Amino acid sequence: MDFTVRAATKEDCKDIWRMITELAVYEKMADQVKISPEDLERDGFGQNPLFECLVVEVPEEQKSTDGFIVVGYALYFYTYSTWTGVCVHLEDLYVMPHFRGNGIGKSLLSKVAQIAKQKQCARLQLCALEWNTPSRDFYAYKGAQDLTATEGWHMLRFDGHTLDSLAQEDAKGS
Amino acid sequence: MDFSIRAANVDDCKDIARMIMELAEYEKVSEHVKVTQKDLEQDGFSKNPFFHGIIAELPEPQRTKDGHTKFGYALYFFSYSSWCGRAVYMEDLYVMPEFRGKGVGKALMSKVAQLGMAAGCNQLNFTVLHWSKSSLDFYLSQGCTDVTTNLGYHCMRCEGDALKRLAQP
Repeated sequence: MDFTVRAATKEDCKDIWRMITELAVYEKMADQVKISPEDLERDGFGQNPLFECLVVEVPEEQKSTDGFIVVGYALYFYTYSTWTGVCVHLEDLYVMPHFRGNGIGKSLLSKVAQIAKQKQCARLQLCALEWNTPSRDFYAYKGAQDLTATEGWHMLRFDGHTLDSLAQEDAKGS
Repeated sequence: MDFSIRAANVDDCKDIARMIMELAEYEKVSEHVKVTQKDLEQDGFSKNPFFHGIIAELPEPQRTKDGHTKFGYALYFFSYSSWCGRAVYMEDLYVMPEFRGKGVGKALMSKVAQLGMAAGCNQLNFTVLHWSKSSLDFYLSQGCTDVTTNLGYHCMRCEGDALKRLAQP
């Protein structure tokens, strides 16, 4: 299958948003998507982008049944480890179901890793859902360690009213 | 106990580096720390910083027996959720052992939440070692959810030779 991986532009935001919602459906959390294509445009393609994105395009003659030529994406941003310095966090990696099995996911992941190396990042990190065996197996096969399973790392989160409450705790500060 | 919390500046990097090492020793991984004071100065205090820090500080007359006034810190950066948008990630939260149990950790974390919300963040995320019961209990008592236990999120990492191989076209 012919495909190209390229940096996303703001014109891709509608497609990226479509695929974000498709991925959320796959992860059984479709109601969790709160952002819009306009949010993506503002956050990723303004003066101080909060993320970077790669998209996968197929030629017109191989477009999806709904007429899409943008059929995959990887969304990532830079983080910081106080042990190793700048790192890359891969927030999303997605290929539309019909286009899987053609090396597109591998290609996207490899491209993100190249970018990480170019920026001298020591680590590429991501989260994967426990029940999502195909994804976890894919990443493990590509050399990722599961730090939750091997070292006991857990992700904790404050959001909504728990974040509000935390922010309102009495805090001494200047 | 009298203390204040303020934004970190480049002159704090020596103390931040010291406390990073103390935290790594507590987590039994001090041999993994490669970041130096100079790295912190470059990465956190140049034009496009990769992180931000806040410091907990004692008044001069109350300095520790080793002569320190900076006794706690939190280090954070802005991340992105493709579902909710801008988020804040707390990379480190640390209070020197002799100053724990006095509300300093809570105050530092609250400040990170305030700063994150002021910047438009909808989530504050961080990781903790499951076996570190006192830390886990502290965070859960503050109201957060364990998304690894509740939603099944596993943290994964590619580094070293595996990252090199992955980057080969």
